[in-house]
Amino acid sequence: MTTKGDGADRSIRAEGLRRRFGKLDAVDGVDLDVPGGQIFGFLGPNGAGKSTSVKILTTILNATAGNATVAGYDVQRQGGKVREAIGVALQDVGLDPLMTARELLVLQGELFGTPRDEARKTAERLLKTVGLDDVDPKKRAGAYSGGMKRRLDLALALVHDPRILFLDEPTTGLDPASRAAIWEEVRRLNDELGMTIFLTTQYLEEADRLADQIAIINKGRIVASGTPDELKRQVGDEVVELQFGSREDAGRAYDALAPVAPNRQAAERELRLYFGRAAENVPELVRALDGAGVRLQGMTIEQPSLDDVFLRVTGEALEHEVDEAAADVPEVAEARS
Amino acid sequence: MNDILILIGRSIRNALRQPATIIPNIAISVFFLFVYNAGLNSVAKLPGFQGSYLGFILPVSIVSAAVGGAGLAGQTLIKDIDNGYFTKLLLTPTRRLAVIWGPMIASAVILTAQVVLVMLIALLMGLKVASGPGGFLLVVALAFLWGMAFAGYAAFMALKTKNAAAAQAATFAFFPLIFLSYTFVPKEYVTTGWLKVAATINPTTYVFDAMRSLLNTGWSASSLGVGFAVTFGFATVTGIMALWAARGATRLAS
Repeated sequence: MTTKGDGADRSIRAEGLRRRFGKLDAVDGVDLDVPGGQIFGFLGPNGAGKSTSVKILTTILNATAGNATVAGYDVQRQGGKVREAIGVALQDVGLDPLMTARELLVLQGELFGTPRDEARKTAERLLKTVGLDDVDPKKRAGAYSGGMKRRLDLALALVHDPRILFLDEPTTGLDPASRAAIWEEVRRLNDELGMTIFLTTQYLEEADRLADQIAIINKGRIVASGTPDELKRQVGDEVVELQFGSREDAGRAYDALAPVAPNRQAAERELRLYFGRAAENVPELVRALDGAGVRLQGMTIEQPSLDDVFLRVTGEALEHEVDEAAADVPEVAEARS
Repeated sequence: MNDILILIGRSIRNALRQPATIIPNIAISVFFLFVYNAGLNSVAKLPGFQGSYLGFILPVSIVSAAVGGAGLAGQTLIKDIDNGYFTKLLLTPTRRLAVIWGPMIASAVILTAQVVLVMLIALLMGLKVASGPGGFLLVVALAFLWGMAFAGYAAFMALKTKNAAAAQAATFAFFPLIFLSYTFVPKEYVTTGWLKVAATINPTTYVFDAMRSLLNTGWSASSLGVGFAVTFGFATVTGIMALWAARGATRLAS
């Protein structure tokens, strides 16, 4: 899929990438192999090392050890070449509040060597793409709302038709409509232009919906990687979720179910049990709970989510997206697997 | 070269969008010119004084404008760092030098425009430039270089502290330089020993000398040579300091 050295390389590779801040290894030996044309989801909680990795790969932070190539160029020694090939929208948007959207886009284009006339045309096209073309042209970026700033920042990352796009938590803090718009745009850029997209997120749903490949990072290390389906299959094909009236009940059930469901996780007043085929095991489950004298309040059978994968590989839950589905699920606490 | 021109243009445009960042500085240098000239012009009657007191005090007004206006380069960089635009610029193929020197040169250009304005006011007040139009331009050129020197220092402090208040305070630390010199009266009339020592090691003295020679006495190769050499040296040192500070700020930025 990639061809090295001919200016069409769209891959991202890293070997043993490490970055130390004082005594903390923010990134602690990360290996990556993202082929060109992929949407790659880098999933992890706050402070896992996602942003630090992105900063190293985009040349604005030196690695303490290890090496990485982006678009076939070494990020430490060929920073300029890397920057020409990539577009970057960091978690914190980077806008000059005194300038208008058009001024920012034209200036950005010029800094990438585009003649002004062409940069102006690109600016108009991108404003349409990100849905900011109907904003008052005199309005300065400082007066934009959070969602508008994010969209403008994304447009700035696209002025030079980059081969690879880095998006660091592009939808954190956005309302559902803006989030959906960004998802659609990410998919379009990948489908139509074949742009490689390196996307960090703490939202499982986002990684699940967009990414071809996912790596889960926790405390600076990659703890799992694969396609979303591969990752989910690692925990089982189906999940039985049991709800109890109290944490104590859930605890007793956890112990009682050991012989029936060796693959299980506890979270507050819930248990999640992983099976090849869930329905076959239900009668036995009920008998075991009866035997232990634990009252069951509810039971659902569902597909494993990336949350299950995350809980399993890190022993901790990822932050939930605040939406209707998440609101029904009590906060997942320490797992006892 | 193109990237630095683009970034200079951006900084100047932004400064003009916030006139409050420029106007007080112009007002203060014009104010200095008026009050010093009004209060001290009898100095010109001292024996041995050449030219007008207006020509003597104008350089003080120009140099203090440079010290006051230098903060602009630092403030631009700190704002850029705070709002993430600095990082955005570092993510383009733009040279680091352009990202740092763009705001510095812009601040020196704005200062130069202020100096021209102050000098035109002085001409209206009756200033006669002894060395003629060429001398006028050389005074402007010296002011530009002096502005670059202070902009470099301000950028250095901004990149080191990343704190607007600290960077602003650091430029005020240079105000004493204006006064630790033959600021209000010619050298011959200063008798205090320590002030003479301070004036001799103070680069400001040589800028005053060069500008005063052009304004009041005509062409003097030695005054000009020393004045330009000192100012150029000063600007080079602070310009390199700013770039050095940028090395730390660009690749170690959190």
